[in-house]
Amino acid sequence: MSESSKAASSPSTSANGITGASILLDKVTKRYPGQATPAVDGLTMEIPAGKMVMFVGPSGCGKTTTLKMINRLIEPTEGKIILNGDDVTAMDGDKLRRKMGYVIQAGGLFPHMTVATNIAIVPKMLGWDKARIAARVDELLELVSLDPGVYRDRFPKELSGGQQQRVGVARALAADPPVLLMDEPFGAVDPITRLRLQDELINIQAELQKTIVCVTHDFDEAVKLGDWIAVFNEGAQLVQYDTPERILADPADDFVENFIGSGAGLKQLTLTRVSEVGLAEAIVAHPGDSASSVMSRVNAAGHGHAVIVDERSRPISWLSRRQLSRLDVIGSTTDPKLPVVGNRATLNDALDTMLVSSAGAALVTGRRDVFEGVIDVKTVMDAITAAHEAAALESDDAPVGLNTGTMQRVSQPAADGGAAAGTEVDAGTEVDAGNEATVMAAATHEQAAE
Amino acid sequence: MSAALNESALTQSETGDAGDEAAGPIRTAAYAGGLWRSWRGLVYQLVGIAAVLFGLIIWLANTGLSATELTTLAPAALWGYTVEHLQLTLVAAVIVLVVAIPLGVALTRKRLRFLSAPVLIVANIGQAAPAIGLVVLLAFWLGFGFWAAIVSLVLYAILPVLRNTMVGLQQVDQRLVEAGRGMGMSAAAVLFKVELPLAVPVMLSGIRTALVLLVGTAALATFINGGGLGILITTGVNLKLTSVLITGSVLVALLALFIDWFGRVVEHLARPKGL
Amino acid sequence: MLDFLVGRFNQILFSGWQHFSLVVQCLILATILAVIIAALVYRSKALISAANSVSAVGLTIPSFALIGLLIAPFGFGVLPAVIVVAFFATLPILRNAVVGLSGINPATVEAARGIGMSRFRTLMQVELPMAWPVILAGVRVSAQMVMGVAAVAAYALGPGLGGFIFSGLSRLGGANSLESVVTGVVGVIILALILDLLLIGLGRLTIPRGIRV
Repeated sequence: MSESSKAASSPSTSANGITGASILLDKVTKRYPGQATPAVDGLTMEIPAGKMVMFVGPSGCGKTTTLKMINRLIEPTEGKIILNGDDVTAMDGDKLRRKMGYVIQAGGLFPHMTVATNIAIVPKMLGWDKARIAARVDELLELVSLDPGVYRDRFPKELSGGQQQRVGVARALAADPPVLLMDEPFGAVDPITRLRLQDELINIQAELQKTIVCVTHDFDEAVKLGDWIAVFNEGAQLVQYDTPERILADPADDFVENFIGSGAGLKQLTLTRVSEVGLAEAIVAHPGDSASSVMSRVNAAGHGHAVIVDERSRPISWLSRRQLSRLDVIGSTTDPKLPVVGNRATLNDALDTMLVSSAGAALVTGRRDVFEGVIDVKTVMDAITAAHEAAALESDDAPVGLNTGTMQRVSQPAADGGAAAGTEVDAGTEVDAGNEATVMAAATHEQAAE
Repeated sequence: MSAALNESALTQSETGDAGDEAAGPIRTAAYAGGLWRSWRGLVYQLVGIAAVLFGLIIWLANTGLSATELTTLAPAALWGYTVEHLQLTLVAAVIVLVVAIPLGVALTRKRLRFLSAPVLIVANIGQAAPAIGLVVLLAFWLGFGFWAAIVSLVLYAILPVLRNTMVGLQQVDQRLVEAGRGMGMSAAAVLFKVELPLAVPVMLSGIRTALVLLVGTAALATFINGGGLGILITTGVNLKLTSVLITGSVLVALLALFIDWFGRVVEHLARPKGL
Repeated sequence: MLDFLVGRFNQILFSGWQHFSLVVQCLILATILAVIIAALVYRSKALISAANSVSAVGLTIPSFALIGLLIAPFGFGVLPAVIVVAFFATLPILRNAVVGLSGINPATVEAARGIGMSRFRTLMQVELPMAWPVILAGVRVSAQMVMGVAAVAAYALGPGLGGFIFSGLSRLGGANSLESVVTGVVGVIILALILDLLLIGLGRLTIPRGIRV
């Protein structure tokens, strides 16, 4: 069981470190003029504070429309949006959006502004002074692992796709908004960069604990990132809203099953993160150390390799005994093919990395790329066994999500799924808005009764 | 000459790049090359204009000019016509900008977008009207003189600015507009901070086109006593003074090329960095 | 106005036809010239930029200034008018022909050469047909522009509707002067629209269906 759902099961600890706000969509409907069926029909959905909720579904299913109704880029035709207990359906849209970070595909950076200017937009609108903005820009660039000295004054076209995306995230976090909305944030980068960005987002989220709503069409991404996954079908029908573990173990219907695709068992591997398994120790040395003394430490420990880290404890190379024996002094060259995974990477990613590494293992790094330890195939095998056992356990604190719209027949399985979880939860502890929660709970019971 | 210019371009780029530590020597050199390449055309254009002007002066000095020709081509008179010509061009240009840019912005806003196609069709048909016809027709209506000329110049030059403002705004990536709104920028803030800066290159090229059109059309203002260098051409034809005719034609052409050069320089400098 | 039109119907028709025919003949000449020049330059980057500079500079020169320059050596009449109209007609077509020819995917050209087509054959059967829509767009731009240029060319006593404008101007305030100018202006607009429609029709007929947009 991942630690995320453990955290969710104890709302009393929610004050600890959570900077996010809860969001409640209350019977939200979007009708476009001239279209017979609504794009989103009576959707009620609770997004718990400090959690990452993934919206998945086929293209055109209304998940992006739903996302954009949260910050009212698209105004709902009916229904209410409640942020931390306050009804924000009628407040000034621009002011609302300054309280919500917004990340789109490829970052959506303004090409005529430098990285720093891009990040500074919202703080400027909020009237921060220059010194505070400058400090915040540097802080955020550090947070997304970009050296401020190098990147501050660059233009977006001088950045790689992954770097642009990082700046996009930094920009969204600029004014420290409680909510972060992401629309296919990693859709425009190559698969390897995408994995790295996902890991980094997980790290950032572990640190900041914002409420993140993220739209993706990639179910694997949803499993990897999400505390909760909302699976949508056409017309924004919420088919299943549950933890990744349980969606994989117990899909609500054929649609969800098809959407998960084959290899659900293997996907379980993506549910365990490297930080949750035991890491092996390693001999650590620095550039400039004498090779022979490092060699003797390696021999004493019975290891095959030594990890060389730089002055900020970031791994730069991984030398075998043979390589060590050829050296006098440890060099400071960086090995570009170093098998490194972040500690928030999934076991799946770690396995991929170690399979291409000559050592048959991978180096694990933590926040700001600091070296933590080594992971090998045996560790992963043990974790698979453990994950199978854990999947049998069930959490019973799923947030509420259901459709009250006209397409009852299609939404029925979803309502069942939502109700099964929703009736058991004490909605009042999850949702700050007591009234809405009651209404919702009542609605849930009705659905269950049908 | 060319080497010296090349060198100055290099130093310029180096100082410009000094703040960027990550830019290695290779990148700096490539950048300098690009910088020189992009300025080279402008330098050639200016040199060409100066050379032709110089040639004209030499030719005039070595041709036996009659007394009438000497009076018509007196430096002070030529300067006066040039100033008149520039006045016509610039006054008309300012009015064009004041009218066409807000109109272009308005026609690309959601509420008025339905009007943009009809407006462009009408403007395109209007553009098919011969400039000389427009100038003369308006003189019938408004009488002869400077302001009648201005009105026809403005009508004639509005289209390129209007069209390029609209195209420039329309080609701005809608996702950037949405990103701006998504961050809580107001519609006006997105227009001024995102859409217009990104449309600047396209708008400027439309403005340059309009300026060149204006210089050319202002030469026709002489037919309705609007002033400008065109008077040299008509005088040359009417009095069969070939040197006056040629001087007038060459000066109008050089002025157009110079205004075009000026427009290109502005485009170069005003283009937002990072594009 | 009506009296004016009816009274000089034949003269108007004749001038209109002359105007139209001057423009069309110059356009045909210009298209041939432009395509030949473009075919000679499009393989070399330096020549392409030279051709582009020539058309940019040429388009900057005001037509009235060029007419003035041409009156000096050629005097008045048809010749300077034809030169001016053909000159301005060539430039936009040249620009588009260069863009069209150099914009063709090299892989397509390679494929043509690969199946044994000669360079000339590739140009005639593959490259020109593919660039034709772009070239034709240039022809349309040219057509609209030189309709107006031809009107100004009447200053050099060239043929066409421009004569009505200048004669109206010279008799300003006199009988029928306004009618004369309006006839000239509206006539040119109508001719421009007709020619544009004809060119659109030509595009329908000559652009291969596979690359029609």
